Amino acid sequence: MALSGQPVADADLNPGALVAGGTDLFRGRRASAMGYLGLPIVLAAVCGILFLWLGTQDLGSIERRSLNFERISTAFVEHMALAFVSTIFVIAIAVPLGVLLTRPAARPIVPPVIAVANIGQAVPSIGVLVILALIWTIGFWPAIVALVAYSILPVLRNTMVGLQQVDQPTIEAARGMGMTKRAVLQKIELPLAVPVILAGVRTALVINVGTATLATFVNAGGLGDIIQGGLVSNRQTVVLAGSVLTAALALFIDHIGGIAETRLSPKGL
Amino acid sequence: MPDVTTTAASQPTESMISLQDLSKIFPGQPKPAVDSIDMEIPAGEIVILVGPSGCGKTTTMRLINRLIEPTSGRIILEGEDVTKVNPDQLRRRIGYVIQQVGLFPHHTISDNIATVPRMLGWDEKRIRSRVDELLAMVGLDPGTYRDRYPKNLSGGQRQRAGVARALSADPPVMLMDEPFGAIDPITRDRLQNEFLRLQQTIRKTIVFVTHDIDEAIKMGDRIAILREGSKIAQYDTPERILAAPADDFVADFIGAGASLKRLGLTRVRDIELIPWPTAGVDATRTEVLEALRGSDKGAVLILDDQRRPVRWVGGREIQRSDRPLAEIGLPSDAVVQPHATLADALNEMLKSRFGCVAVVDGSGAYMGSVEFGTVSSVIQELRRDARERSRAEADELHAAGAVNA
Amino acid sequence: MTILDYLAAQGGRLLGLTIEHAILVLVSVTISTIIGVTLGVLTYRTERPRRTALAITGIFLTIPSFALFGLLVAPLGLGATPAVIALVMYGLLPIVRNTITGLRSVDPAIVESAQGMGMGRYRRLLRIELPLAWPIILTGVRVAAVIIVGIAAVAAVVNGPGLGKDIFRALARVGTPTAVPQAVSAVLGIIAIAILIDFFFMIVARLTTSRGIRA
Repeated sequence: MALSGQPVADADLNPGALVAGGTDLFRGRRASAMGYLGLPIVLAAVCGILFLWLGTQDLGSIERRSLNFERISTAFVEHMALAFVSTIFVIAIAVPLGVLLTRPAARPIVPPVIAVANIGQAVPSIGVLVILALIWTIGFWPAIVALVAYSILPVLRNTMVGLQQVDQPTIEAARGMGMTKRAVLQKIELPLAVPVILAGVRTALVINVGTATLATFVNAGGLGDIIQGGLVSNRQTVVLAGSVLTAALALFIDHIGGIAETRLSPKGL
Repeated sequence: MPDVTTTAASQPTESMISLQDLSKIFPGQPKPAVDSIDMEIPAGEIVILVGPSGCGKTTTMRLINRLIEPTSGRIILEGEDVTKVNPDQLRRRIGYVIQQVGLFPHHTISDNIATVPRMLGWDEKRIRSRVDELLAMVGLDPGTYRDRYPKNLSGGQRQRAGVARALSADPPVMLMDEPFGAIDPITRDRLQNEFLRLQQTIRKTIVFVTHDIDEAIKMGDRIAILREGSKIAQYDTPERILAAPADDFVADFIGAGASLKRLGLTRVRDIELIPWPTAGVDATRTEVLEALRGSDKGAVLILDDQRRPVRWVGGREIQRSDRPLAEIGLPSDAVVQPHATLADALNEMLKSRFGCVAVVDGSGAYMGSVEFGTVSSVIQELRRDARERSRAEADELHAAGAVNA
Repeated sequence: MTILDYLAAQGGRLLGLTIEHAILVLVSVTISTIIGVTLGVLTYRTERPRRTALAITGIFLTIPSFALFGLLVAPLGLGATPAVIALVMYGLLPIVRNTITGLRSVDPAIVESAQGMGMGRYRRLLRIELPLAWPIILTGVRVAAVIIVGIAAVAAVVNGPGLGKDIFRALARVGTPTAVPQAVSAVLGIIAIAILIDFFFMIVARLTTSRGIRA
């Protein structure tokens, strides 16, 4: 995928973006209580219906073992830990790297970095997880490494695009006023790139929530445990319940990400 | 600061910026973008750099605040060699306005204006009062615009904010790169006039880049006409450049209408007004005809009791109609004041229904008239003047050459 | 055991799985393209349907792959069917989005002049708008294909076809000498398919884009 595709006025329609915040429909264009609460209410209703339906089912011992509060909450906490820790690492690595790669001195090494990153995008996340488990170890940290490796590109790419699209006259005016290069980066370029970087972070977070589902295969827990447990024991109810919970979590996180994206962007943009 | 020990040989006006043998060669380009320019920019004046596109005028301006580092040569600011000083510190002493304005979109207007004062460590109270003062100065109501973001301003308002931001730390020097270039013609004219009025009070040393010779003539105390490589083709007052273009390049650049352009420099008060016959609104028919007969003009200017022009009335209209004088003839709608330029007068003339402009004083009382013939003879005079001056200069040069030989 | 040894021993089987994987991707991308372009054409003119189409396909892409496979297993059972359906759903967003973007970026003056020449709604769409939007639509299909190649590896958890089977088999054999070469070769196979797809789309773009609008 090209680093900087042709500029498209409507950000929703950017042909380069991978994940486009599908939950934004529920939020609408303007901030409102209904916009903020609409999707969570829908998701809560779906989960509520799921549990009501489970209550009417004749659950066996396997189902009971998989679908109790303790089991689900452990899986949930593990899942969130995987997603958030990996996202924090991604931000810590990709944003400074993006800043470095957009400095004039780095221009010659940008094309190879982008080429490697693009090929890396083609590596399946489950493949990275499994290979790390085979050659290193199983558990939390290999899962984190795989998640970081897999979700670093959107943040790196958006940091670079965000910095590159800062209006040149704005930078020139800042330089002309006697701001140092460092001050221009900190006070002008980075704040103006924040919306684009945040969009990348949101994408990375959603990817990480998704990939963390696969962490179950390397014994790192998460909601994938419940789905996998259901598949292994051939219990469709458990598979369905685990999948619904996981999907609801991902949509909720995307929704929160969308709100954060709007809230954290500088005013005036 | 004036130095008492310097001899009379020093320059008449103290120079604020001095460019000495300044060159810029961009890597990989065969010709220098700026080829050893020497230039003195006097304190308190607007100096225009004008020339065809690609002549290096913007590069030259950006050498002054070292947004582009010179390849060789020196820049002297207020007597201090600033070629090697810290460029960021230097730029805080120089206001900078560009065509695209470059307001920071994520900062409010007041934060934009406060940028340099904050870098200079002013206290917030002083900054706040300075911001309000500047907003008022550039014609933006502080209460309304202080907390707005740039996207909520029109193009003209943004440019005003840009000027306020450049003035924020009261720098002695301002660099302006086509500041009014991206603004619609009507707003541009208003901003230019306002800026000139502002400059009357702030008296900054301004280097102003434009490609528009009319803007240069209007705005400049001095104009440097540049050719390729930022070579100075002529550096002089607008009057002298229009009157005596140094060579064919300059003559071509200012175009065929040079004499006409000078109309924008000559004031109505500088020429002799033509007295037209006048009569009060209450005058009798006989009195009006008497006044008409006593002059070579075809009409009488009717004045009200404050001596303000009301109508132009011709002899035929007086005889044909017996309605009051204030209702016959043509309205005297073309009126200028003495500080108007001849270009303004000519404009009024073309717009009015009676081809003559009445000149009035501050209270609107009639002083005399400007006719097309007056304007045309001024043009003739300007041309003759120009020819003579350039001939005299040629003689002078010739004489100097002879002495040296 | 090195990868080369593994390939020498298992190369034929690996090639079979790679072809299987490629077919899974091809089928899914084709279905996704038909549905996605149709959706884009139907919705690009009006705001609400357009945003709804983008939101729904965006939600598909937001749902974790494992969860989506899981949701489809309940009604459809294990095998290739839930795999294909899930992959089609994943491919929709880039295709719908780029179809809409492409069609909306066609210069209105061109469409108007076609209308002025008496071209009807469908002729205009087929002869003018879609050909002009084609490069952008094709980019969307390529993005969809690249997404699908990777996610198809997960299809093995619901007994879907493809190289994912080898990744999970390797995981089951953790500790044995064949485990690492098996997983690595499966991943390399997937990367190879992704690169081939990129190459394929480059050629398709060259062959199917009017020379008048080629960059």
